Amino acid sequence: MDDPIRQGLARGWKHIDAATLSKDEQYEADIVIVGTGAGGGLAAEILTQAGFSVIMLEHGALNSSSDFKQQERWAYPHLYQDGAGRKTKDQGIAILQGRTVGGSTTVNWTTSIRTPKNTLGYWREHFGLDFSGDNSLEPFFDLASGRLNISQWHMSPNLNNLALKNGCEKLGWQYTIIHRNVNGCANLGLCGMGCPINAKQSMLVTTIPTALDGGATLISRISARNFEWQGDKIQALHAVPVDEHYQPRQGVNITVKARHYIAAGGAINTPALLLRSKVPNPSGRLGKHTYLHPSLISGALFAEPINGHAGAPQSVYSDQFVWPESDNMGFKLEVPPVHPVLMATKLIGMAEQHAHLMKQFNNLQVMIALLRDGFAEQAQGGTVELDSNGEPQLDYPLTDYLFAGAREALLAMAELQFAAGAKAVMPIHADGQLYKSWPEAKAAIMALPMAIYRTTLASAHVMGGCNMAMDASKGVVDMQGRHHQLKNLSVFDGSTLPTSLGANPQLTIYGLVWRNSTLLANWLHGNQ
Amino acid sequence: MNRRQFIMTSLGTGLGLSLGITLYPVVTATKASQLTAAEMVFDAFLPALLMGALPADNQLAQQQLLATRKAAIEFLPFLPLTQQQQLSQLFLLLEQELTRLALTGNWLSLNELPVQTRLGLLSAWRDSYLALLQQAYCGLRELLFAAYYGQPPHWAALNYQAVEFNRYG
Ligand SMILES: Cc1cc2nc3c(=O)[nH]c(=O)nc-3n(C[C@H](O)[C@H](O)[C@H](O)COP(=O)(O)OP(=O)(O)OC[C@H]3O[C@@H](n4cnc5c(N)ncnc54)[C@H](O)[C@@H]3O)c2cc1C
Ligand code: SF4
Repeated sequence: MDDPIRQGLARGWKHIDAATLSKDEQYEADIVIVGTGAGGGLAAEILTQAGFSVIMLEHGALNSSSDFKQQERWAYPHLYQDGAGRKTKDQGIAILQGRTVGGSTTVNWTTSIRTPKNTLGYWREHFGLDFSGDNSLEPFFDLASGRLNISQWHMSPNLNNLALKNGCEKLGWQYTIIHRNVNGCANLGLCGMGCPINAKQSMLVTTIPTALDGGATLISRISARNFEWQGDKIQALHAVPVDEHYQPRQGVNITVKARHYIAAGGAINTPALLLRSKVPNPSGRLGKHTYLHPSLISGALFAEPINGHAGAPQSVYSDQFVWPESDNMGFKLEVPPVHPVLMATKLIGMAEQHAHLMKQFNNLQVMIALLRDGFAEQAQGGTVELDSNGEPQLDYPLTDYLFAGAREALLAMAELQFAAGAKAVMPIHADGQLYKSWPEAKAAIMALPMAIYRTTLASAHVMGGCNMAMDASKGVVDMQGRHHQLKNLSVFDGSTLPTSLGANPQLTIYGLVWRNSTLLANWLHGNQ
Repeated sequence: MNRRQFIMTSLGTGLGLSLGITLYPVVTATKASQLTAAEMVFDAFLPALLMGALPADNQLAQQQLLATRKAAIEFLPFLPLTQQQQLSQLFLLLEQELTRLALTGNWLSLNELPVQTRLGLLSAWRDSYLALLQQAYCGLRELLFAAYYGQPPHWAALNYQAVEFNRYG
């Protein structure tokens, strides 16, 4: 199997594994980028190609297809934030985010969706962000689609996704076949553990190699701790190596100086870096309004095997309920890949009940409903705070409004699963059980106490916390991702989104960052 | 029959039958005094949480319990430091609580706590009004199930096979 990373390293890529450093170091470049995910990885390619010297810093390790083990017990600790154990402060929502070179794109499920028109409309109205006409993101979505080989999935959906499609057809609900960023995908279903054949067009195998071939430097296993700034300018970035468990290590200090600094550590981590740096925050919005698409889960037992672990993890979604006419919280319907740890930790119950369900693992069809937060007054997301170690905690209050949406989502999923032919459906809720018919499930779900810890909630889409807004009083960065107060700081990642999206985020981030990196390159050239 | 014999008998018949194993294999493998609070807590709850999942063969079940405890312990350092600190406090508290329960129940030691008592404790936390206990339930459950189902030898009943491009370990 060709491994573009090992080949690149053999060609002489500039890669420093900070974990091996034993004394203080200082580096300098035109541009330093913190984080190598959707935002940081793409910016590195565009800015290197525009002729700038670039240093990328990444908390995670440089893992490639030769390193990925196709087991969750390896993937979670080595490729995910906090070993995939990240949670909101009160532990009400489990959060998946990547932490490896390529960021979340290395482990994501390849669904690629352009920003919904309704979301852009909301941003225009509430944040003064007009992405139409000359400012349209469409040309950048086209560019990203070309670069990352995004196209509609041409193979038949796996049975997990097929159930979603079949249910929608039966009920006359909207559904769409998903576009994916893959090239030569063998339909393995291992996207969440890193693609073993480099088919997924993550930043790891596309833009980061190009940046490195163009002379950029990658420093992995390093944690950016804080910006040193004065007046309206950043003067240096301070970082430390991390240990074998990815914990920041004391004793070695790394300083990076640049003309321009880009924060691309993703939502939660970028606000944390800026909070640690105590950057100016006149809008008071830094770290606030962090969104999660809090997701409900529904399991269904089918007579025949579903094998939700095999095949492209996501190939069908339904937008039937994303933009309801009422003020209720909208939700998008999708399915996740089903592997043992993900399943065992999310399934309800313990002992015999749990074991019994696990034994039917291959016959379980699993659906998720992603709540669209950030639009209504009662769903203003969470706030990033720093704990005593300077690490982020997301305080995300679960409101009655959100729980009302959660109940509707559980109902819709159960109805859909029965329509698709499920023998029994089980909302993932501490008081849920296997229900044998839609009327029975409906009555039971109506009666379920919607409350923290009883209703299982998870997220793989973290957005906001450094939101864009034209007006400095309403946001942390402007429409180009430039910090409103610090002139040589840009934020190029999911933290700039002013609301959640009602769609999976990666393509929105690619579009925005492509646009904003190009504008930044022009500005820096003009300012030389 | 004294209380201890009574319990051993009921274990042997009721639970022993349903589990098909001797209940506390992990603790007997190491001297209790040498175990950390985390290990004590895992040992106390694993046989209960995994009832129905552990194989009938006693020796195999013991191996699986040990491997699961090891995996859970090895995972902890990947969590953020604050979470690790909170967890070690929790483990200390739970260890005390379990010891207290064992004492009040007149069991000779922690590893004789009937499995139903352990399950009962977990359910009580799950249904508690105290957020801290509910969090303890969710956290422990997730950590231990992940540690168990992360291991290929435990997938037999699931009929799950991961395509292996690169060997683990
Ligand atoms: C399991 C999973 C499945 C997903 N599936 C999809 C999908 O199918 N479609 C879709 O559109 N989206 C999906 N997403 C979400 C999508 O991948 C993310 O929204 C997107 O990658 C976010 O981009 P980002 O640049 O904001 O941050 P990320 O891609 O998360 O990258 C941030 C990087 O910065 C690093 N970093 C953070 N702080 C620091 C620091 N202080 N110092 C050094 N490095 C730092 C992190 O380690 C990380 O590698 C999924 C996410 C996950 C976790
Ligand atoms: S389905 Fe498999 S081959 Fe396709 S992108 Fe995902 S991991 Fe790679």
